[in-house]
Amino acid sequence: MSPARSAEPAQHGLGTPPGVPEPRPTPPAPAPSPAVYTAGLSKHFGSTVALRSLSITVERGEVFGFLGPNGAGKTTAVKVLLGLVRPTGGEGLVLGAPLGDRLARRRIGYLPELFRFQGLLSAAEVVRLHSKLLGLPKASWPAESSRVLRTVGLDRRADDRVATFSKGMQQRLGIAVALLGDPLLVVLDEPTSALDPVGRRDVREIIRALRAGGTTVFLNTHLLDEAEHICDRVAVIDRGSTVATGTLPELLGHHWSVRLKVTGLPDRWWAGADLPGSWSREEDWVRVRAIDPTLVPDVVARLVGRGGRVEAVVPENESLEARFLELLEGR
Amino acid sequence: MSPVLTIAGVTIREAVRRKLLLAFLAITAAMVALSAWGFDRLARTRSITGDEVHLALPQSFILFMFMFSFVLALSASTIGSPAVSWEIESGVLLTLVTRPVRRAQILLGKWLGLAVLLALYDAAVCALEVAVVKAVSGFLPPDPLLVAVYLFAEGCLLLTVALLLSTRMSVIAAGVVAVALFGASWLAGVVGALGQSFNIGALRAVGQVGRYVLPSDGLWHGAIYYLEPQTFIGQHFLEVHAGDPFFAQSAPSWAYLVWVGIWFLAVLGAGVASFERREL
Repeated sequence: MSPARSAEPAQHGLGTPPGVPEPRPTPPAPAPSPAVYTAGLSKHFGSTVALRSLSITVERGEVFGFLGPNGAGKTTAVKVLLGLVRPTGGEGLVLGAPLGDRLARRRIGYLPELFRFQGLLSAAEVVRLHSKLLGLPKASWPAESSRVLRTVGLDRRADDRVATFSKGMQQRLGIAVALLGDPLLVVLDEPTSALDPVGRRDVREIIRALRAGGTTVFLNTHLLDEAEHICDRVAVIDRGSTVATGTLPELLGHHWSVRLKVTGLPDRWWAGADLPGSWSREEDWVRVRAIDPTLVPDVVARLVGRGGRVEAVVPENESLEARFLELLEGR
Repeated sequence: MSPVLTIAGVTIREAVRRKLLLAFLAITAAMVALSAWGFDRLARTRSITGDEVHLALPQSFILFMFMFSFVLALSASTIGSPAVSWEIESGVLLTLVTRPVRRAQILLGKWLGLAVLLALYDAAVCALEVAVVKAVSGFLPPDPLLVAVYLFAEGCLLLTVALLLSTRMSVIAAGVVAVALFGASWLAGVVGALGQSFNIGALRAVGQVGRYVLPSDGLWHGAIYYLEPQTFIGQHFLEVHAGDPFFAQSAPSWAYLVWVGIWFLAVLGAGVASFERREL
């Protein structure tokens, strides 16, 4: 857990008049706990280990990507965080409250991976039902319903029954319901799995808007480009354990590649070439991987010094996908 | 509004939109029309004496209400068994239990909504049937209100059992087990009646134990008692019908009703505890 931030003590520039009791100093405002904190969280289903040891901290206001291949334990982890299943070991806090705390759920929006709403209710009725269960003031229901349905582009279908909705529209409705009541934490489990490209773009915009409003977003996804586009930090898990955690530059920082088009050097030179990083050659193109970007001019100089002609230098930032695969294959 | 009432309201609304009430009403209309025709024929028959008709009318009415109690129990099992299990399988519950409500409130809300539907069905059938039979044959059971109450209690009991099973079993398994338990309870009552008839202590004991293990048959006999005219309670009738599974010698005792209350609360409590502990 991150250390508590201390607040500045109150200043009393004019001092206290004689005879008047010294006012008690205003206690420092408690620093908000992380949105999500887990340490060694595990979950066993009989002999099956779904979650081996999950240790993550998600700070307030960030978009946190939770990545992993199918069966890595992502959804189990989300369910443990929300109290839907009990952990076998370890500890965790969500919004500073124990896992599954009922009152904390008031400030958590959740979009499950596999879910369904009552098909015979209209979208507006579903939203109203969840507004009631959230305990929102009755007077706020119409405005809140309009707001969330408009956000996901379902305002014109508010009175249509959910059973008539496509899977993508049901997913949009799920996101709308997750946004009800100004949540501090929104947990989205594969939010774009049923959406078309327009829907995916919309979801990205919604997540960005949430971040701008200070809401923490816990994004459970196996779509790496999605995480790459919108996440401040990510955790990669595999076989129930955390493999790597950090910001995208932290995860990718030392994994630059550069492609060079080189002519004029014989094959026998390439057979004994000594270049930094790992490199491979395909016809006139050479790809040097895992190279410190500051060494690229040295590589070019060496090639030119041996009589080569460097016709192009194309820097490549290794994709999250490549790094992701590297992390998983390295286990 | 309390979450229990909110969930009960949604449960009723969904049932109405599934045309469940409409189906209940259609079945009720068919049943009442058929029985009206039958009781009319029975009341007008010349093939038996007037005294025999007066004896046959209540017995026929009891048989009719037995058929209704079976339909009510079946309905209770059918609407109770998917209440939790289907919503777990479909993912509807995931969106509800992550709200700041207790799972107990969700379960009790569902129970309440379904119990209201059963009460409406029970009240409609009992009221219509009693009115129609009185109109066509002149027969009126001594206490139709208590008949309806006992039948409702029997239906609620089965609903509660089905709901408990629904927290752990699949839709089909929960429904089948609830109906089978109802059948087993009725069968235990028949075995007990045979034991009474042939004076076999072991069989009598089966009937007695069965009424405590699953009190649906005991409640059905409460309904029977309030369907029987006073003429049935005479000594001669007692001797002739001692082993008749469609005859009740006395109303259920207060002690038995207290036991039923405890049993009911225990099963409902077990359902809540089971749902609270269920991992989703």
